[in-house]
Amino acid sequence: MTVETPHTASQAGSDVRPIVATSLSKRYREVLAVDGVDIDLPSGVVGGFVGPNGAGKTTTIQLLLGLVRPTGGTARVLGETIEHPERYLRRVGALIESPSFYPALSGRRNLEVLTRLGRLDGSRIDEVLALVELTERADDRVKTYSLGMKQRLGVAAALLPDPALVILDEPTNGLDPAGIREMRSVMRGLADRGITVLVSSHLLREIEAICDHLMMIDHGRIVFQGPIGGLLDAQQTGVIATPEHSEDLERLAALCAAAGKQARIDGDVLRVTAGEDWAAELNRQAFAAGITLRGLEVTRATLEEAFFAITDAEAADDDAGADGEEA
Amino acid sequence: MRGAFSSEWVKLRRRSMLGWGFGAGLFFPVLATILTIERAVRNPTFDGGRHGIRISYATLEQPTGLVHGVVDVSSLIGLVALCLFAAAFSLEYSQGTLRNLLVREPRRARLLGGKFLALVLFIGLVVIIAVGVSVAFAFALAPGKGISTAAWTSSTGVNDMLQAVLHAFLAAVLYGVFGAALGILLRSPAVSIPVAVAYFLPIEAIITGAIWSGGANWLPNHLLVALAHGGNGDSTYSHALLMLVIYAAVVAASATALFRARDA
Repeated sequence: MTVETPHTASQAGSDVRPIVATSLSKRYREVLAVDGVDIDLPSGVVGGFVGPNGAGKTTTIQLLLGLVRPTGGTARVLGETIEHPERYLRRVGALIESPSFYPALSGRRNLEVLTRLGRLDGSRIDEVLALVELTERADDRVKTYSLGMKQRLGVAAALLPDPALVILDEPTNGLDPAGIREMRSVMRGLADRGITVLVSSHLLREIEAICDHLMMIDHGRIVFQGPIGGLLDAQQTGVIATPEHSEDLERLAALCAAAGKQARIDGDVLRVTAGEDWAAELNRQAFAAGITLRGLEVTRATLEEAFFAITDAEAADDDAGADGEEA
Repeated sequence: MRGAFSSEWVKLRRRSMLGWGFGAGLFFPVLATILTIERAVRNPTFDGGRHGIRISYATLEQPTGLVHGVVDVSSLIGLVALCLFAAAFSLEYSQGTLRNLLVREPRRARLLGGKFLALVLFIGLVVIIAVGVSVAFAFALAPGKGISTAAWTSSTGVNDMLQAVLHAFLAAVLYGVFGAALGILLRSPAVSIPVAVAYFLPIEAIITGAIWSGGANWLPNHLLVALAHGGNGDSTYSHALLMLVIYAAVVAASATALFRARDA
């Protein structure tokens, strides 16, 4: 797969927010799959939609695509209400859950089914097949494809309408490391051309690598949305100090405690919860105390750590609320 | 709706589908035609049914003789349509392809209508080719048995043949309506096809045979057989057609409402 896409149309610079949802909800009998979700996705970004399995990602995507009907709230996609998906789906490409195709038809014929149905330009079939590097296998039956090839065919199908918005649900499922890297490249290429991409995944490292905007969902509720850089910057950084002699660990921890920093010994290293500037100060104080450091590293929170920090805080708030109600 | 129709044709025109659909549709009429002519006797006598039903030359030499075998089994073409329609609709659910289709054509009634019309055209071609091949076999075999074909080419004979095509086609389409509705309702070919065949063959026969003998004039499969035959001892053609149009309208409206309302 290459970054250069064959698309010509985009909505770069459009004032319309690609996805806006307000209190969007979906209940399946006793289960509240999506619970009052608010979404505001900026134009031209790769937006990550993350959360554990069963958090409500796929149901939210299905709501946005008009495949399931909401039990509460509203949403607009490309400025049009989701009550009339026919008004915006011509400009939306989507890969929903695991890619499903007619196994007895070739990849090319499967795409032909979709182009004819959507009255799309049939000449784009070859373009999108080339984009996902399936040209050589395009005339083979889909039942002979690997999962990764089906995934790529799903992306090709999503790109058929020359979309302004692409929604990909777990697009890296079944891909090998090279395929994952190529998928990242395709998504970035789309965003570079002003096409907004919403990609859902439970693989937080994947999202961290490719997205610039983030929505976190847990138990059907959005627990965070905003720029991914802002989220990570707001997380607590740390300093890992490794003294030359491990018997100095206790004295090093005492120095940190005296400065009001939380520190714990973890094997041969001392982990300090502190800002980046504390590393230099710790180095100075250790030298003054006669402790030689053979390692000093500033660590940043990963998206995974940020996710758990946020969801743990949400759970604690819920518990506190429940306790308050019981009292 | 044109997009849905055209899209469905991509699936229907594949070689395996053509082979299966036309093979099943042709098998019964052609076999019935061959057996009817080959087993015909000049002066049939009742032998207690030991050799099955034998048609006389005189019967076959009538204008209706040309399509005698086809008419006898035309309801079986309908059963092929029943299974074809049930499979076509339920497979979209069970394969998960319905979501892809709805993203490209969210107007669900149009998707349903276009798909149904493509299947109607397909089964129409099956009926026409099945009758055509059967007629060709009849003309090829009859002279060898000494059966006169003069009446077959008369205007009455041609008219009877066209009526046989029309009746078989109407019956097949109406079987298709029931098949499509079951496919949408049950969402799995492994369930919808056995349920459809079970109802239209043994269950209805048991109902009319053991529970409600008057049901032959009201239950769908009996009416469809009567329609395919152009009327029979159970129902007149016009009664069968009227009842089936009412049933089909109710079933089609219910299936469409369900298809539009249900989450994909």
